Amino acid sequence: MRPIMLKGHERSLTQVKFNREGDLLFSVAKDKSASVWYSFNGERLGTFEGHIGTIWSIDVDSKTELAVTGSADFSAKLWEVNNGKCIKTWKLKTPAKRVEFSPNNDKLLIVTDQVMGEKGTITILPINSNFETREEQTDEPLLIIETAEGAEKVTVAGWSYAGKYIIAGHSNGVVSKYDAETGELHKTVKVHDLTITDLQFSQDKTYFITSSKDKTAHILDVDTLTIMKTYEADAPMNSACITPVKNFVILGGGQDARDVTTTSSKQGKFEARFYHKIFEDEIGRVKGHFGPLNYVAIHPNGTMYASGGEDGFVRLHHFDKSYYDFKYDVERTAEATGAVEVKTPEITA
Amino acid sequence: MAEVARSNWADAEEELPSPEVIENKDGTKTIISYRLNDAGKKVKVTQKIKEIKITEKVHPDVARRKKWAKFGAEEGTAPGPDFRTTQVGEPVYLRLGTQWKVIEKEAEEKQKEESKKASVGQGIRCRLCGGSHFTSKCPFKDTLGADIENASGTPEPSAASPTPELTKTTGYIAPHLRNRNKDEFAEKDLSVEKEESSTLRFTQINENIDEQTFRDEVLQRFERVIRRVTLVKNRETGRSKGVAYVEFDTPEIAQKARDALDGRGYHSLILRVDFSKPRAPR
Repeated sequence: MRPIMLKGHERSLTQVKFNREGDLLFSVAKDKSASVWYSFNGERLGTFEGHIGTIWSIDVDSKTELAVTGSADFSAKLWEVNNGKCIKTWKLKTPAKRVEFSPNNDKLLIVTDQVMGEKGTITILPINSNFETREEQTDEPLLIIETAEGAEKVTVAGWSYAGKYIIAGHSNGVVSKYDAETGELHKTVKVHDLTITDLQFSQDKTYFITSSKDKTAHILDVDTLTIMKTYEADAPMNSACITPVKNFVILGGGQDARDVTTTSSKQGKFEARFYHKIFEDEIGRVKGHFGPLNYVAIHPNGTMYASGGEDGFVRLHHFDKSYYDFKYDVERTAEATGAVEVKTPEITA
Repeated sequence: MAEVARSNWADAEEELPSPEVIENKDGTKTIISYRLNDAGKKVKVTQKIKEIKITEKVHPDVARRKKWAKFGAEEGTAPGPDFRTTQVGEPVYLRLGTQWKVIEKEAEEKQKEESKKASVGQGIRCRLCGGSHFTSKCPFKDTLGADIENASGTPEPSAASPTPELTKTTGYIAPHLRNRNKDEFAEKDLSVEKEESSTLRFTQINENIDEQTFRDEVLQRFERVIRRVTLVKNRETGRSKGVAYVEFDTPEIAQKARDALDGRGYHSLILRVDFSKPRAPR
């Protein structure tokens, strides 16, 4: 496959994200603007200008009308996707490390960093997504979940199915689950040894994958927070995503950015790694980046994936046919025999 | 700047006839256009085009979004990907499989070998089989190597050698001398001896004497038949070591000189004169 290289950013990428239909790709980097691209040909639709610091995170609502960015300039901004207009700026006490819309677009989650004596929080804001009145947004948060006493700061967070829970990953490798309405802490589980770098949900948002600097990634179930699968890598992982259509997961990472100059690009392990979701085997790698991968995102239809690297490039890969054809031998045989087994109960029933 | 360049280019275009489009019966189109080539000459370009409509069904929202105007840094730019921000990268390969590591390693080694071959290629030639590898790494070393060693290897000391001197001096034999027959070898060795024998080695010379003084005071009588005089000096201090080599025209003169000078007192030391020995094998 021939990747499309998107060179719209001057500094290392922090997050890339597809919208719900997957026709647009949003990217943010440590420079001050966010970019929107057409995913089928890599054409840039536009940029969101207005931040004055690193943008750590971006999200787009399910209707692709509004986008939100969280920045190190102590603010989060709400944008109109079709024209790049900023319609709301929320002032924060600390940098926003992660932003995400709830599944039904009525709430926004902002993870604020724990720095300068301020406590890290997960702030939930109401979003007025009504097309006519959407410029009227409130500053009043619905809920502020402060980091519990004794717990390490939150690095990543996301909404579970139906926006029922908020799952957060902490810098000491703990995953915690909160009620999205009340902010009540349901459960905490220690799953990683080091900081959790990314947390992405499956399409139905009933399970999620965490990646960590401890060179592993785990799939956890939302309801019980049990570790379902473990993927082991040979370098610190910065991001992980679960592919639809095929049962794979993609991990991205590599040597820490600060160690890059002392290692060759080969030793750095700057590759996207493909693991089989069920069997936990590493089944392939994709090279290309000159620095560690900071984020990997998969198209919602599973037809392409994008990776944003420390080298400042987004690489957009449309999968070849061989990607869809790949199956384990056991899968093939199970399909051959399973096809018979599936049919028989239908007939008997 | 880009706009200026564009308008110039457009001006030039105006002088050329406008392109013609002819609709063919079979549904194709022929476009005849004119342009100026690099040399400034007018070139006629005929293109035959068949238009095929491919209908792709997309989500209505996606279709709507495709028509959005560009904004931000891209505001006002032409539709279609801009090569400054969007480029097609080198092809990458994703070979899925549990054995991917093995496959990758094999491919890597193959590549390494090929590059090695390309770089070494003609430089190395095996003496045994003529292949492009070192003789010591020849796969036929065991079968071919034995013969070659017998043929060209250094002669064993136990092997009958005609002169005892030869065996003494066979520490190292230069490659070009290895295959010579032994008589020739002996002769050569003898001639070396002969040449050496016309040189005398003076020792116990007073260290304060320099070469010129030595010539004037000791070798005055033989001045005409001396080829050269070398007074050995310490390389660092430049002081004489009290040893000199003097080469004469013939061994006979050398013999005479030795008879005359050996044991003679010179600057409160007794000169010793020998025939210079051939240099000890290193």
